Amino acid sequence: MPLLDLGAAIAIGLSYFTIIYLTGLGGLFSERSGIVNIGLEGLMISGTVMGAWGAINWGPVAGLTIGAVSGLLFSMVHAVATVTFRVDHIVSGVVINVVALGLARFLSQLFFGSASQSTSGVPNFGTIDIPLLSSLPAGLGRAFQDMSPMTLIAFALVFPVIFALNRTRFGLRLRSAGENPEATRTVGVRVVPLRYSGVALSGLLAGLSGAFLAIEVNALYQEGQTQGLGFIALAALILGNWSPSRLMVGALLFGFAQAVPLRLGDAPIIGVLPDQFVRMIPYIVTIVAIAGFVGRVQPPAAAGKAYEGTGGT
Amino acid sequence: MALATRPEAPPMPPAPERRLRRPWIDAMVVQAVAVVAAVAFTGLVGSAIILSYGESPLFVYSTIWQFSTSRASDVARVLEQATPLIFSALAVSVAFKAGMFNIGVEGQYIVGMMTATMAAVWLDLPAVVHLPVVVLAAMAGSMIWAFVPAILKVKTGAHEVVTTIMMNGISVSLVAWALLNPLRTADTGFVDLRSDRFPESAVMPPLAPALGLEDQIPSSAHLTWLFPLALLACAAVWFLLFRTRLGYEARAVGASPGSAEAGGISIGATQLKVFLISGALAGFVGLNYLLGDAGFFGVNYETTLGFTGIAVAFLGRNHPVGILLSALLFGVLFRGEDGVAVATDLPREITVILEGLLILSVVVAYEIARRVQLRRQAEFIRQVEGETRAAA
Repeated sequence: MPLLDLGAAIAIGLSYFTIIYLTGLGGLFSERSGIVNIGLEGLMISGTVMGAWGAINWGPVAGLTIGAVSGLLFSMVHAVATVTFRVDHIVSGVVINVVALGLARFLSQLFFGSASQSTSGVPNFGTIDIPLLSSLPAGLGRAFQDMSPMTLIAFALVFPVIFALNRTRFGLRLRSAGENPEATRTVGVRVVPLRYSGVALSGLLAGLSGAFLAIEVNALYQEGQTQGLGFIALAALILGNWSPSRLMVGALLFGFAQAVPLRLGDAPIIGVLPDQFVRMIPYIVTIVAIAGFVGRVQPPAAAGKAYEGTGGT
Repeated sequence: MALATRPEAPPMPPAPERRLRRPWIDAMVVQAVAVVAAVAFTGLVGSAIILSYGESPLFVYSTIWQFSTSRASDVARVLEQATPLIFSALAVSVAFKAGMFNIGVEGQYIVGMMTATMAAVWLDLPAVVHLPVVVLAAMAGSMIWAFVPAILKVKTGAHEVVTTIMMNGISVSLVAWALLNPLRTADTGFVDLRSDRFPESAVMPPLAPALGLEDQIPSSAHLTWLFPLALLACAAVWFLLFRTRLGYEARAVGASPGSAEAGGISIGATQLKVFLISGALAGFVGLNYLLGDAGFFGVNYETTLGFTGIAVAFLGRNHPVGILLSALLFGVLFRGEDGVAVATDLPREITVILEGLLILSVVVAYEIARRVQLRRQAEFIRQVEGETRAAA
């Protein structure tokens, strides 16, 4: 196999890892607080369109910030529906996704004068080369050149997230709300604000991830550019057993699966397949992984269940 | 639990004899109020958006209404838009009743269009047989596509929301491959990828001649026999859900899997069967476009009908009658888009925003209604019990 292509494939895989990992971490916060968030895809979509708009007008930092904040605001719809009104989590999440499709068309028309895409060349960060790794021989160095700084940030996020979940008051309370809200309530901690913050974090991270996709990866907003990555992030979350470090493994796996059709289409074995079948690989990998793992992992005990509570907290 | 701990539960004062309505009447009233409240909320927020553009909400709403109802051809266009949405929403709702989310209608109908095209182009049959065979081929293709997530759910517990979305992704590539290879027309006069034009025997006839409205409904409004078929499908789904054993089992599994299993119902077998029926319904979604409009299968096929179907199903409370009404409403909004684009300075996507607002508010309103209803039922039962005790 030409190693140059392998290097390029790894580089693309790392971009997709960033998208899947950020979104997956969002899902993790939400589900650990007890709210299943199948609307991640929709939250990402809001991040793509708002992020691209922000970056075109005020540069990449503003773009990513606006994308993240718009994801957060949009996720509040999910929080109000599921936490306050106790609507079924999946129903609400599905509605978020359906509404996002229309909302993105509306906003895109408003911002870019076209319902389906922005102009290309959205300003982004400069890329960086990782010292040493980027000079690996035989084309492998390609994997670590021209990397978005966001990818490094995504990798680094695992530490504060683990710390927050295991060592901070907020993290422990958040998890208790997802495992046993009744007990949380009994010790005098309000469940509702915890679940709101879990969903808010999921919106923030999914929106950021969408903005990263539009600004850093594609350099344009395009309808449908999220390609189900929000759902793949959910799959990575299941595969990662709702743990930040194992989620990273799942996100790497699915991220590289995304890269196969883009860069390894003519590798041995894969090269025999028609192009369109190679494109199915990421989806098939996801289905197989989910089907193989789902019985052997343990979701947060109270995830998906409405907390009826007493006295409105 | 929640009811028992309600603070105002202590011994009911016997004095004011407020006769509560029968639960089913009550249910209808509460739900109607919920729908009206959701529509009103949407109208208000929508008005605020329209006002921010400096347009008059009343004018926009009346434009949408006039564009979709003033002439027979407008109504025909509304029905044309509603037809695939009815099938799509029925597919979603059947699965939903059995506790499953078929987010894969999108992929299922795309594959159905592909298999229908194979039957239309490759088979040479007399018209009486050909059209039904094409429709069956669509159903079969969609059912195969629905079978994969269904069997994975039953056998491994893989959640159908994730697997159906992945199947959607696969279907796009599969169809692209089919259009590039076996189905590609030999006619080189086209820039875009497409199949051969379908023979006359595989084309869905328009409905207008049968209604005697040929002169009023132009052939550009593709209202075909699939619309009455969609009405029939509503009736069939209603019958299936509420008058057959499978429907009963499906609703039992959807309402409470534990109780259903304790009652001797096999959850897996029921969900598998229901999901296949859902897939079969999804097979019809692309047919009005394929057989009644385009007459060939090309890369620019209609998409997102499966996702819109989810919205239609939720708005219609997953009930066949509700679905019919909400599909018509979506048809009006689709048609109204043209009116908005012609008569106002608003972006035509404003109707999409209205749809989104409506769905969000309706989902919340229904949930509130459900809770109000539960509370009232409990009150009703308490009252009846009290009366019985007093009589004894």
